[in-house]
Amino acid sequence: MLVHYLENTFQQKIDAETRIEPKDWMPDKYRQTLIRQISQHAHSEIVGMLPEGAWISRAPSLKRKQILLAKVQDEAGHGLYLYSAAETLGISRDEMIAQLHSGKAKYSSIFNYPTLTWADMGAIGWLVDGAAIMNQVPLCRTSYGPYSRAMIRVCKEESFHQRQGFESLLVLCQGSAEQKAMAQDALNRWWWPSLMMFGPHDSDSTNSEASMQWKIKRFSNDELRQRFVDMIAEQAKVLGLTLPDPDLKWNEERGHYDFGKINWEEFWQVVGGNGPCNKERLDARKKAWEDGAWVREAAVAHAEKRAARKAAVAA
Amino acid sequence: MVSKTTDTSRITEQEVWSILEKVKDPEVPVLSIIDLGVLRGVQLDASGKLTITITPTYSGCPAMDTISMDIRLKLMEYGIREVQIIQQLSPAWTTDWMTEGGKKKLRAYGIAPPNPKQQVCHQELFATEAIQCPHCNSWHTELISQFGSTACKALYRCTDCREAFDYFKCH
Amino acid sequence: MLQTITKDTGNSGLSSPFRGTGGFILHLADSALVLGQRNAEWTAHGPVLEQDIAITNIALDLIGQARNFFAYAAQAYNESKDAGKASFNNLLPRPWIAFNRELQEDDLAFLRDERQYLNLLLCELPKGDWAFTILRQYLFSAYQLPLFQQLAQGSDQQLAAIAAKGIKEVTYHLRWSAEWVIRLGDGTEESNRRINKALTELWPYTAELFEPSQIELDAAASGIPIRLEEVQVSWQNHIHRVFGEAGLTVPTNKPFQKGGKAGIHTEHMGHLLAEMQYLQRTYPNQQW
Ligand SMILES: [Fe+2]
Ligand SMILES: [Fe+2]
Ligand SMILES: [Zn+2]
Repeated sequence: MLVHYLENTFQQKIDAETRIEPKDWMPDKYRQTLIRQISQHAHSEIVGMLPEGAWISRAPSLKRKQILLAKVQDEAGHGLYLYSAAETLGISRDEMIAQLHSGKAKYSSIFNYPTLTWADMGAIGWLVDGAAIMNQVPLCRTSYGPYSRAMIRVCKEESFHQRQGFESLLVLCQGSAEQKAMAQDALNRWWWPSLMMFGPHDSDSTNSEASMQWKIKRFSNDELRQRFVDMIAEQAKVLGLTLPDPDLKWNEERGHYDFGKINWEEFWQVVGGNGPCNKERLDARKKAWEDGAWVREAAVAHAEKRAARKAAVAA
Repeated sequence: MVSKTTDTSRITEQEVWSILEKVKDPEVPVLSIIDLGVLRGVQLDASGKLTITITPTYSGCPAMDTISMDIRLKLMEYGIREVQIIQQLSPAWTTDWMTEGGKKKLRAYGIAPPNPKQQVCHQELFATEAIQCPHCNSWHTELISQFGSTACKALYRCTDCREAFDYFKCH
Repeated sequence: MLQTITKDTGNSGLSSPFRGTGGFILHLADSALVLGQRNAEWTAHGPVLEQDIAITNIALDLIGQARNFFAYAAQAYNESKDAGKASFNNLLPRPWIAFNRELQEDDLAFLRDERQYLNLLLCELPKGDWAFTILRQYLFSAYQLPLFQQLAQGSDQQLAAIAAKGIKEVTYHLRWSAEWVIRLGDGTEESNRRINKALTELWPYTAELFEPSQIELDAAASGIPIRLEEVQVSWQNHIHRVFGEAGLTVPTNKPFQKGGKAGIHTEHMGHLLAEMQYLQRTYPNQQW
């Protein structure tokens, strides 16, 4: 009876757009859904540092080195922020990291693709951060308070990344023929995977319905993907680049761009662990964690000694 | 208010300041470059030549080029095409230059504004700093990380409402 | 040009063909750049997320400082008269000569030959483990802070401004790295063993921090207020205090590795440069 009452109150709050806060009662399924989603988001920020971080040492100018360092630092900050938001739901960061390392928790598949040239840095900022923004802007109004507030600030920083990525591609596109070719090649490789970032078609998506009812999610995968295509198709014109899709064309009637078929076989292969870099990414994260074990132990040991000395002085 | 077709030869320094109030920090867009204290000077000489001086928040600040471009774009909207933008390092930027209005906007945005400088800019090791939660106003907060997503921020957690929040560090 | 470098076995350090303040500014720039480059190797691979962010942030600060110094050196070169330009001769990036345009910060940062880089050897050593990185950063920041404090008082306004701007950042770096030296020294047996090992490995490279080379003598002669013996006193005081708290013993053996300020590097430097310079060398004189 009580649970029924609590559930009603909870759904009323959701319907009235009142944010759910950490100390409020919430259905267990809601809590689990949020933990899954927020931790997956956090893991994506952290794993996403790898393909871009690999180019810091090779950035072609001091300015680009600065921008890339600052961007990757932002992503780490987002990860930290999101782990902290998930912790308000009663899970520890160590547990979440263990889930990532064991393969139980997922992260965005896009980061299982390799970064092969410098232009990939621009393409990631423009397309991957761009797609992330499409996915995340609606989350600024998601029903869980700490998550929605975090997303407001994170989205502003992601917009900055997208702008910088676009600008860096623009410089390449206005540069030498080799530079422009480098930019086009990066777009060719990143375009389809970035469309896959919105997840399977609505008809094949398993987690969506409850998430919509609880207003964790507000738009469907296909709606968001369409918005993204419409935005990028216009921006590509400014760059003078061609999207690698012969079926892409403006549909006057729909008021949207039509686009070609996504290779879902590839999508499921990469999700299933068979992408070009799945193993490297996870191995790199595990190695960093294992190599850092003695550092974390030392920090804890020292903090304990320090606290003990402080207590002894106080006594 | 300045109209969008302002005659450059007639514009005043005061009007340029009010136009530049619309240029925001690209990562914390609730703050204008004036709130942040990044805009240091607007100078209009007798011949009508406009010089704008900005200063980076820290040496590696990746936003300076973006801010310069945004200043140019904003001024262009008002018909001002000729402008020289100088990046000045000295005197070094400090959070003490952040306006009171800016601090209020930060708090409302969910970022704890910087404490006054003299309180914390010291070299003492393992020092901790009392920060107020911008969400519930509690002082029961703990440091998660000395550096946040950007260099100017640290991450704290409120032990009362559990909110994780950024603190704009004194600098 | 470069053949004129001779190894001086006396106590005055190495003589150098790099004269005037140009060499000194590039020395400051190179140390910051190379250490920033090394620290950034930790990005995405740190022992815990908070420290991954911290070391990345320090790398960013150092690259920012380097950029300020390089921009200043390029500007000083472009604006100087023939005689002033001549003092830069040995420092100019060879590929740039064919570009037929003014010197830019990235030409200096990315296109000089290995023997033209003037950073401290300490900065170019491979990142090692977390203890090595921490201790290196600490030894460097404890030197950089008093050095920048001196430069900030100088009459060269741009140099003073860059240093003054850097002081705030270096103050953070010093505090952060000192805390970690203490944590690792006074943490677990393992961390203590590792930081002691790092100390043994790094100590020999502290020699050239305080031994005036030709570039510093020239800069001092041009009126830049550098007093390395005072920097050394401040460094030693800091180290005694922090090592004391960390339970580390200050080594008594005399450090001996030097050469960076005269462009004579370790074998690691070439690899670092190959990676850092690859795009600028492959696509010369492009916008990025
Ligand atoms: Fe992010
Ligand atoms: Fe991003
Ligand atoms: Zn609170």
